[in-house]
Amino acid sequence: MTAVCPNGHISATLDWCDTCGDPIEAASPPASDLASISDEVDTSPATRREPCPLCLAPRSGDDRYCEGCGYDFLARAAPAAEPSDEGSGATVVATWEAIVSADRQQFDALGNQGIEFPAGRVERRYPLTLELVRIGRSRGRAGEEIPEIDLTGADADPGASHLHAALERQDDGAYALRDLGSTNGTTVNDDPAPVSKQVTRPLADGDRIRLGAWTTVTLRRV
Amino acid sequence: MSTFTAEAYQNEYLPLDGTEVNAIVTVTSTGDGVPAPQGGGAEIVILDTSGSMDVPRNKIAAARDATCVAIDCIRDGVAFGVISGTDKAWLVYPRRPGGLLAASTETREEAKRAVRELTAGGGTAIGRWLTLAAELFASAPAGIHHAIMLTDGENRQETEAELDAILASVEGQFQCDCRGVGTDWVVSELRRVASTLLGTVDIIADPADMADDFRSMMEAAMGKATANVTLRLWTPQTATVAFLRQVSPTIEELTDRASATGALIADYPTGSWGQESRDYHLCIKVPPRAVGEEMLAGRVSIVEGDDVLAQALIKATWTGDEQLSTRINREVAHYTGQAELAEVIQDGLEARKSGDEATATFKLGRAVQLATESANEGTMKLLRAVVEVDDAATGTVRLRREVADADEMALDTRSTRTVRLGAGGP
Repeated sequence: MTAVCPNGHISATLDWCDTCGDPIEAASPPASDLASISDEVDTSPATRREPCPLCLAPRSGDDRYCEGCGYDFLARAAPAAEPSDEGSGATVVATWEAIVSADRQQFDALGNQGIEFPAGRVERRYPLTLELVRIGRSRGRAGEEIPEIDLTGADADPGASHLHAALERQDDGAYALRDLGSTNGTTVNDDPAPVSKQVTRPLADGDRIRLGAWTTVTLRRV
Repeated sequence: MSTFTAEAYQNEYLPLDGTEVNAIVTVTSTGDGVPAPQGGGAEIVILDTSGSMDVPRNKIAAARDATCVAIDCIRDGVAFGVISGTDKAWLVYPRRPGGLLAASTETREEAKRAVRELTAGGGTAIGRWLTLAAELFASAPAGIHHAIMLTDGENRQETEAELDAILASVEGQFQCDCRGVGTDWVVSELRRVASTLLGTVDIIADPADMADDFRSMMEAAMGKATANVTLRLWTPQTATVAFLRQVSPTIEELTDRASATGALIADYPTGSWGQESRDYHLCIKVPPRAVGEEMLAGRVSIVEGDDVLAQALIKATWTGDEQLSTRINREVAHYTGQAELAEVIQDGLEARKSGDEATATFKLGRAVQLATESANEGTMKLLRAVVEVDDAATGTVRLRREVADADEMALDTRSTRTVRLGAGGP
């Protein structure tokens, strides 16, 4: 239902005009024809724009494939995996690795922060085979992104963010560090100044990335 | 499920050439008294554990105890967590994967054990604490997202601009009640955090009072039944909103908090509601019309999601009858006075700090006069700790020579608390 106000505005509110605020006389006829037209126009686009169930990107028109990830709306199937350059069965040989450890000195240097250093933590080694390796503390919730280097565990670092930082492979095959907007920041080696957020910083063999209360990630060329 | 009502109080008559429409809108939420026992929602306690919490020693101990009391008040099934804050932000609980955990006898005990181990050390960076809270709320179940934040000091490891940027980024993601313990924190800073995050702010001068305060804050949070209620204001073409502020129970400026949802419609956030009543003062500028004409100057809708829960109309009628147009509505007059009261207190204390005794005496004198007229006894009592009152009716006062920091900060913090018309004070 809509009404027409004395100034000729079509108003969705029937007591006062929703454009100019003029009172609408009870006698004024409801503009029912216009209403039914606009109703039809209103409903159709909503049903068309179903989001992609995989990447949530809006579907463009009646396109069969999602622009975002290639999901097949018709077959309701995920995109086929891209053929790998290496050929099937070939294993990627990592030339770099990341070693995650709890550093007592780093923890002590923070000063007393009211938390305790974890006992009996062992080093963990991650061969770097991917172009993007994220570091963080996963929340383990269904459907959430899990960082490739997951600091979760019995002794999760209480100062690490969910997606804290990332290692990004450069053209020369070496890795660079990017802070992904962490709460507590990231430092490298003995420089106390945190790296800029969302800016890549090249890393060399032996560089130590420090984050959270005690986490050190050391980069090594294998 | 709560029921909302909205009622407008105004003098709709404007003189020839009159353009300013004032109204008080009272919004009330009533329910069956029991908040929906649905799971959902999340609570986080943010505890300052900077080095100064050790001075005096009982501060950190009282904060630990108060946090444990607050944890005990969290209803079963509500996800919760604890953050300790220094110049960094630390996730105290939960420490195992899976994000915030639902409250149960077991998880509450586990959290309290973790809290009891906290000691004090380090600096203060409030923005980081809030960032971590927002990160945790982001993956928490939908519903009311609420935090309690306690601090005892100034935000030293962040600039004002840094804190403002963080506040802008976490705004709307959760509500946060802020408490300052002792007298080394900054009222304006904590008020800014609380206002942005639609929470309350108060001083806890004596650490011994912390547990009771935490309990009542958490109980109030548990009594909220409706999350994310919006005040939607429609104004006609060619009208402008001069201001919109909450005026009861406290003064909160909302004018700049609007997000537009249409050319003529603005949405103002009001946060979550329990069984309560709040008043809003709206001032709308409209182009003048001829005598005898009337118009709708504003339509206030209380909205949750897409549901309109209540509505009130603000009207304007132009008249040649001066007796009608010069009458000031009682509610509007009362809250105009309460807003001035908060302003002159803050101005007066500012002048007093900068050594301008003449201005301080004048402003705080005016405050005494306004508090007396409106029977705002709570504010009057706080004023008496700062000034000697010779004649309340005329606002004749003398500044006290010796004023405890805690008294001055209490007056500043609570200056925005108003009374309702004829309520006579708390």
